[in-house]
Amino acid sequence: MKHPGGPPGPGARGGRGGPRGGGGGGGRPAPRPAAPAGAGGGAAGMEALVHLGNGFLQVLQPMNLLVLFIGLVLGMLVAVLPGLTLVMGVVLALPFTYSMELLPAIILLTAMYVSGTYGGAFTAILFRIPGEPIDVPLLWDGYTMARKGQPAKALGWTLFSALGGGLVAVMVMVLASAPVAKFALTFSSPEYFAIIIFGLASVVSLGGGSITNAAISLMLGLLIATVGVDSIYGAERFAFGVPFLQDGIEYLLVMVGAYGLGEVFTRMEKGFAGDGTAADTDRRIKTEFPTLGEMIKLKMTFLRSSLVGIIVGIIPGAGATVASFVAYGAEGQYGKRGKELGSGIAEGIIAPQTAATSSVGGAMIPLLTMGIPGSGATAIILGAFLLHGMQPGPQVFVTSGPFVYAVFASMFLGVIGMCILGYFAIKPLVKVLELPEAVVSAFVVMFCFIGAFAARNNLSDLYVITAFGILGYLFEKFHFPIAPMVLGVILGPLAESSFMTMMVSHGNDWTVLMGRPISATVMVLAVIALVYPIQRQLREKTRRSETPQ
Amino acid sequence: MLNRLLRASPYIVVQLAAMYLYQVAGRIDFPAAPGRIGPDFWPKSILVLLGLVCVYEIIKNLLIGETFTAAGLLEKLMKDSGEVEGEEKQRSYPLLLAGGIVLTVIYVVTISSLGFFLATVAYLALFMVIGRYRNWTVIAVSSVLGSLALVFIFMKVVYVSLPLGVEPFSAVSLWLLKVMGVHW
Repeated sequence: MKHPGGPPGPGARGGRGGPRGGGGGGGRPAPRPAAPAGAGGGAAGMEALVHLGNGFLQVLQPMNLLVLFIGLVLGMLVAVLPGLTLVMGVVLALPFTYSMELLPAIILLTAMYVSGTYGGAFTAILFRIPGEPIDVPLLWDGYTMARKGQPAKALGWTLFSALGGGLVAVMVMVLASAPVAKFALTFSSPEYFAIIIFGLASVVSLGGGSITNAAISLMLGLLIATVGVDSIYGAERFAFGVPFLQDGIEYLLVMVGAYGLGEVFTRMEKGFAGDGTAADTDRRIKTEFPTLGEMIKLKMTFLRSSLVGIIVGIIPGAGATVASFVAYGAEGQYGKRGKELGSGIAEGIIAPQTAATSSVGGAMIPLLTMGIPGSGATAIILGAFLLHGMQPGPQVFVTSGPFVYAVFASMFLGVIGMCILGYFAIKPLVKVLELPEAVVSAFVVMFCFIGAFAARNNLSDLYVITAFGILGYLFEKFHFPIAPMVLGVILGPLAESSFMTMMVSHGNDWTVLMGRPISATVMVLAVIALVYPIQRQLREKTRRSETPQ
Repeated sequence: MLNRLLRASPYIVVQLAAMYLYQVAGRIDFPAAPGRIGPDFWPKSILVLLGLVCVYEIIKNLLIGETFTAAGLLEKLMKDSGEVEGEEKQRSYPLLLAGGIVLTVIYVVTISSLGFFLATVAYLALFMVIGRYRNWTVIAVSSVLGSLALVFIFMKVVYVSLPLGVEPFSAVSLWLLKVMGVHW
């Protein structure tokens, strides 16, 4: 499953045979390719609607619906379960998709991604246990509102925000993806290279850890991606005569090892929680919807947070956690009751939850239209695409339009299903808090191993993921973020082939990057993304040192 | 000084590795085409950048003793939120970790001989014990039933060919597969 080189192009490459977008529901004949919206004005828009309708029909087939339901439940469980994160959950689900058709595989993973941004809200609001870092801002107003005797209302606001934010983001995704893909078709290797550099720079400057540690993690990832026989010259790089290194290091192994096994080792060092949480999960739990009047009153908070979520989602490296925090901060700055945030008001729940869920729709846009994953979860979804022999990219609407619209439809249904599930199944969901962490972690390791082994039926891959598990632990220990390394491994071959193509096409003149408007703009943005946070924090430090104690 | 050295040690290790790999990259064998960069250019460029970042951190931590570090946005947001527990508040169990890693390595080494089922039952049970869990009924039931469920799901439903082991252990795996109706 080594990433095929070169900018994302048409059709299937690598992986397991050709694209199988028909869905598990019964192999409907694929409709003709969709024209990118905008190509023929209203006609193209109408065609897009028809394709979306067909997409709904595909997703509504029993097998796909079942997979969607399972994905939603699993996403919520991993968001709640101690010792499991959303990204880990999606990694662990990947091996189950090996034998699936492409459509149900993507439905399963995207459903987990969407519902994983919502499930942790229950425990954050009810027990002050944020299932994910995404849910930390919900502690400030959600939990406070619950403490003031309104837990049902707090859960109602969360549900409304997840539903609204999710649907708005999916609508934006449907409307924006085809034009973005059409625009991306005009890109050449310098533009691609610049966009990848921007993505990598964003991962470094927006993620966890220090910027230098993130840069080191990224460069290690890019180096790991060079191991094996290179695709242009056929030269062997860093294989040291070891046969399985000559085939390159599968990025699936890096992800499973570093995210899954590494996290288990880290938590093991902290001693695991003995018998699950001491939270009172037996108490009466219900959800109370806000009234229409209350919703209308807070429409600006909702719109602002949706927009923040979508934009942050589109930026590579940011993701749901950053969206949640930034939206909360924006509400504090621009909201009518910004100064009251933290006292248990609805705005403090709407802002982070809306942004977190809407960031999923945003993150899917660069993944589908340019083949560039911006977060851990979308990196795994890209892995599922490649495993099934399909490369997302600008051509995706031309080659696999009906499939893409089926994915859009599944996300619409996923957001709605997630909220229905959240309303009715909240009590059993929070019960999983009682599971002992050591037991859960033992099974997490098992899923990591089976996931790694099943990709190629190769036992030596178990050694590789154990090594990356230990590396992942060391990264956590020394505060090196894992996400840049994973994205480096995934985007490395794409970056290298874009760079080599650019150099060959332009006579080894790298300054071509600055001579073309799009690539120059994106490169400048990449530099700003890297330099601005350093400069801002240096300024803060200087100010602090000048302030008398 | 020891603190400074400890802070700088990860960067020293990465720097040394980068220097070694740069040497290795210099020996990459390829048919050179005139006027074209070779397959060594990309990894060498990354190694140079990696080396520069490490040198910066080594000088900063070891020689100057500066602790300032520019954090990524997410790191800063989490720190500012005050919801992240400080490292100093958390107890550490290095023996548990060492036990977990050793057990995992043993599992990887023995799975081809013991077969997936037997190796997994033993691994799950021992992992829970090492992880300080002491409800023996849950340990026994979850490790046996969990391993059976994994064998069934992956061999019967997902069609993954899990290792059967060597004689005499393979007899157990084969008997189980027969009972479950799995054809291999």
